[in-house]
Amino acid sequence: MAYEDRAFAEQLAARGVTRRDFVKFCGSVAAMLGLSESMVPTIASAVESAAGSKLYPAVWVNGGACTGCTESMAQATYPDVATVVLDILSMNYMETVMMAMGADAEKALYDTVNNNEGKAIMIYEGSVMKGWDGNALRVAGEPSLKILDDLAPKVAAIIAVGSCAVDGGWVKAGPNTADATGVSMYLAEKGIKTPVINLPTCPVNPEWIVAMVVDVLLLGELESGAILGKLDAQGRPKLIFGQTIHDNCPRRGHFENGEFVYQFGSPEEAKGYCLYAMGCKGPQTQTNCPIVRWNNQTSWCVESGSPCIGCGNFNWVDNGAPFLGRMRKVAIGSGSHNGGFAPGVAGAAVGGVVAAALGVHAIGMAATGRLGNMPDTEDVKEHDRKKGGDK
Amino acid sequence: MSHAYTREMHPLAFVVSHWTNLCAMVFLTLSGLYIHYPIFPGFMGAARGTHNFWMFVLLINLVVRLVMGFTLKTSKLAGGREKELDIKNFLPQAENRHQLWPTIKYYLFLKKEHPLGGKYNSLQKFAYVLTVPLILLAAYTGFALWGPTSQWSFFLAGTTMVANWFNGGVGGAALMPMRIVHYWTMWAILSFTFIHVYLANIYGFDADRIMFAWKETGTDHA
Ligand code: SF4
Ligand code: SF4
Repeated sequence: MAYEDRAFAEQLAARGVTRRDFVKFCGSVAAMLGLSESMVPTIASAVESAAGSKLYPAVWVNGGACTGCTESMAQATYPDVATVVLDILSMNYMETVMMAMGADAEKALYDTVNNNEGKAIMIYEGSVMKGWDGNALRVAGEPSLKILDDLAPKVAAIIAVGSCAVDGGWVKAGPNTADATGVSMYLAEKGIKTPVINLPTCPVNPEWIVAMVVDVLLLGELESGAILGKLDAQGRPKLIFGQTIHDNCPRRGHFENGEFVYQFGSPEEAKGYCLYAMGCKGPQTQTNCPIVRWNNQTSWCVESGSPCIGCGNFNWVDNGAPFLGRMRKVAIGSGSHNGGFAPGVAGAAVGGVVAAALGVHAIGMAATGRLGNMPDTEDVKEHDRKKGGDK
Repeated sequence: MSHAYTREMHPLAFVVSHWTNLCAMVFLTLSGLYIHYPIFPGFMGAARGTHNFWMFVLLINLVVRLVMGFTLKTSKLAGGREKELDIKNFLPQAENRHQLWPTIKYYLFLKKEHPLGGKYNSLQKFAYVLTVPLILLAAYTGFALWGPTSQWSFFLAGTTMVANWFNGGVGGAALMPMRIVHYWTMWAILSFTFIHVYLANIYGFDADRIMFAWKETGTDHA
C-alpha cells in the first residue's frame, strides 16, 4: 500500500467509515452526476488524491435566511463519508462556525477571493435582500449586497444553496418587504456573469453540495465548462432536479390505486397510504429527495409521514401554502397567500352565477311566453327598417 | 316549437363529432375533478388514464371538426337546404350584418320579434368560435402539467409566465398556478356548456333530435 493510500485509509478509519462505505458513497455521487458505474473508481481516486493533499479555497456567505442550510450541513459533520469530500474545501470564511471575528473575519473573506481570483468557490446561503437600498441586511457595517457586488465577479462559481439563495425562498414570500431575491436573479440584474449552480430545497441537502464539489472541483467540470451543460433552464443540475418526487415516491402505488390519507390519525395514515389528499406537492416538485433522502439517507418527508410541502419549488411558500391544501389561494399580482380566494370556490362561483343567470333568464322566457315557443321572426332587419328600406 | 331542422344543417359527420365532444367533456370533467381532489378512494389510476385518453380524443376531434369546417358544405339558413362551405357559418355573413345588437336586445327581452340571421345568430358565432381557443387553452395548460411534456420549453415558458402573474412577477417555474388555470379552464368550458344547453333547448328539443339522432323536424321528411 502506497503511503497516500495508507493515509487515506487512516482518514476513513478515523471517521469510522469502511472502504466499502466509501465506494458506495462514490457510487451515489456518480448517480447524481449522471455518470456511469465505470466512473466510480475515477471519482474515488479523485477524492483520494485530493483528500489531505489539496485544499480548494472556498467561502461560505450568509444572506438573509434562518441558517437552516448551515444546520443541514452540520448533519454531514457526523463522522461520515461526506466529510471526506467537504474537508478538501478550505473554508476560510463561514460566519456561523469560524473562529475569527470582526475585521479579521471580513479580511479572511476578501483575501480568500482576491488572492485566488477566478479559482475560489463561493457557497451562498440565504436570500439576497435588496430592500431599503440593501440595508434590509447589513454585514460588517455595510449593506450585505456589497459582498456580492465586490466578490461575485471574482469567484470561479457560486453554489446557491437552499431555496432562499436560489430565488429568495420563504424570505421572499408575500409581502416581501425586505425585497428578497435569489443570487442568480441579483447577478443578472447587475450584469455579473459568474456561473451559479442552484440547489433548492429548504434547507439544502448536503449530499447535493458534495456531489457538486466532486463535479465542479475534483472532476474539473467547471474548468472544462461541462457543468453548464448539466444545468437546466433554472440553473439546477438536471440529474438532481429533473424528476418529480412523485415519480420516485414509494407511496406511488397507493396513489395509482387511489388509496389516500384523508385525515391524520386515521387508519389510512397508519397504513402508509398516499398523502395527495393531504396536499402533497410531490407531483409538482422536482427533486430526488426520495432517492437521496435526508440525514445520512435515513428518511425523508413522505417516508416520515408528512406530505411534501414543495420546498424544492420556485417561490415555494407563495405557490404551495396552505401546505395541507390541494391548491393555494389566489390573490393575483400581490404574491401573497394571505387573504385571497380559493380557486375552487372561485371556479364553482362562476359556474354557479352562470347557472343562476340562466335560471332567471328562463323565468323571463316563461313570463314572455317564449318558453318552448319561439316568437315570430322579424320580416325585416331593424337596421334596414330604420333606413326606411323595403324588405 | 322553433324553426325546422334539416339534415343539411348538420350532416351525419357532425352528429358523430358532437357526440364525441359531449363524451369527452363529460369524461374529462369528471376525471379531472377526481384528480383535483379524490373525494372517494379507489380510482386515481383510472381517472388519470381516462383523462389522458379523452384529452387525445377531444384534440383529434377538434382537428377533424376544423378540417370538416373547411371541406364540407352545410345549409346556411336555419331550416334550409341550400348549402355553402360550413366554415362560412362561423364567420360574418350578409344574413347577420347589423344583427348583433338586435340579438342582444332580443335575449334581454328588449325586443319582441326573433331577429333574422343565418343558421347561427351573431352571438352563437362568437360562442362557437370561442370554444376553439378554450379547448386549446385546456390542452396547453394540461400539457404544461403532464409529466412527459411539462419540461418542454414551449410549455415551461407558459408555466413561468402564469406563475409570474400570480406572484407579482416572481413566480419561477412552479406548476401550482398552471394547475389553477387548467382548473379554471374547465369552469369556463362548463359555463359555455350550460349556456349552450339552455339556449339549444329553450324552444323545445328539436335541436337535440338532429344533433343526437339525426332526425329532421318541421320538414316534409319529418
Ligand atoms: S405521497 Fe406525494 S409524492 Fe408520494 S405518491 Fe402520494 S402524492 Fe405522490
Ligand atoms: S420531499 Fe418536498 S418538502 Fe421534503 S425536502 Fe423534498 S422538496 Fe422539500
